[in-house]
Amino acid sequence: MQGTPKHLIACHECDLLIERVVNQPDQDVICPRCHALLYYTTLNSIERLLALSIAGLILFIPANLFPILSLHVFGQSQSEIILQSALSLYEGGLEVVALLILLFAIVVPLIQLIALFYISFTLHYRWEGRLLRQAMHSYQHLRGWGMLEIFLLGVLISIIKLKDIADLEVGLGLYSLAALIIVITLSGIFFNPHQIWHQIDLHRKQSRFYD
Amino acid sequence: MTDSATTFRSARDSGYLLCSDCEKLHYLSQEGLHCDRCGARLHSRIANSMSISWACLIASILLFLPANLLPIMTFKTFGQGEPSTILGGVLHLLEEDMLMIGLVVLTASIVVPVLKMIALTILLCTVQFGLQTNLRQKTAMFRIVEWIGRWSMLDIFVIGILVALVQLGSIAHIEGNHGATAFAIVVLLTMFSAIAFDTRLIWDNGTSDLPPVSKDHKDDK
Repeated sequence: MQGTPKHLIACHECDLLIERVVNQPDQDVICPRCHALLYYTTLNSIERLLALSIAGLILFIPANLFPILSLHVFGQSQSEIILQSALSLYEGGLEVVALLILLFAIVVPLIQLIALFYISFTLHYRWEGRLLRQAMHSYQHLRGWGMLEIFLLGVLISIIKLKDIADLEVGLGLYSLAALIIVITLSGIFFNPHQIWHQIDLHRKQSRFYD
Repeated sequence: MTDSATTFRSARDSGYLLCSDCEKLHYLSQEGLHCDRCGARLHSRIANSMSISWACLIASILLFLPANLLPIMTFKTFGQGEPSTILGGVLHLLEEDMLMIGLVVLTASIVVPVLKMIALTILLCTVQFGLQTNLRQKTAMFRIVEWIGRWSMLDIFVIGILVALVQLGSIAHIEGNHGATAFAIVVLLTMFSAIAFDTRLIWDNGTSDLPPVSKDHKDDK
């Protein structure tokens, strides 16, 4: 199959056909018609993503195992971990809501971190990476569905709602969660899809060369 | 429109299409095949974009009624307490002088979903009726709407946290109600509607005054 001309690109938001321009590392290329961000350069993208995804996978454990909030009233106490929210709603008969919380606050962030780790690890250490395409698709399609930062805002609102009624204690889980959100947000910034797909292209050509 | 508008030409009109997943450029004749780089199926526009987007939007507007009329949670202390709706919860916060937090919940739970539905309706009508005004602003509006819509899940997470924490038997007890299910599905449907919507359709009508599509490249192959 003959390749399309390398000097042409199209805007993903308005489909305008444009000639590719060479950009400096600090220059973003913007669509002249709809002003969408077309491509840009991220320095050391893979290395940063590798570091962040390892940090994220480590932080994921305390964020999910240690209590986020504890409540003490009349000698009784109750702790909350993220999974407990989903379980309590499930027991209360709100299965759909429970499932959505499970997906948006636990499953999606975990899959994204694993995918990111796999992508950056295989590209950095030039492993074979049979699942690179699938990992990229999972990460890209799940963008926007991980909602830990919204969960954190929910925790803050719950604290304010309950602070007059009961004694609240902030747990280790909340600090881990906050750190995890910072790591996930940063990895979203350093994830540069154009650049990574281009690197996957090169990666596959090299591995074919060595066959 | 500026003078340069006449030189704008879409990839589709020039015989190309862009892979929706890895944004590699392909020939339009490869539509329906798989991208040789990422393996995704090639479509010059999202398949059935308008019907899926309309369907999700209309369903979410209809479900927005039960989401606001049905109670989302019940707070009982010593056996006493009434179920409350989304708006009831916001009003309760405002009554207790928690103005800022009340406004945050009001924005996330009511203002954002309503604005998102209005914005999506405007965008879908733009494409449906081929409107040609403020296209750049409409594209910018879509980007904002797509980003901000997920914050509506805030109230759902608050319910989840409160239900998990306040389980103290007869002393204090919070349970979720089915208004929360309706509301969660509203948010989900508006997100699906935005994902299905193809922003390129907004710009497609603008190039209709251009000369017919050149198919020269096909002879080169």
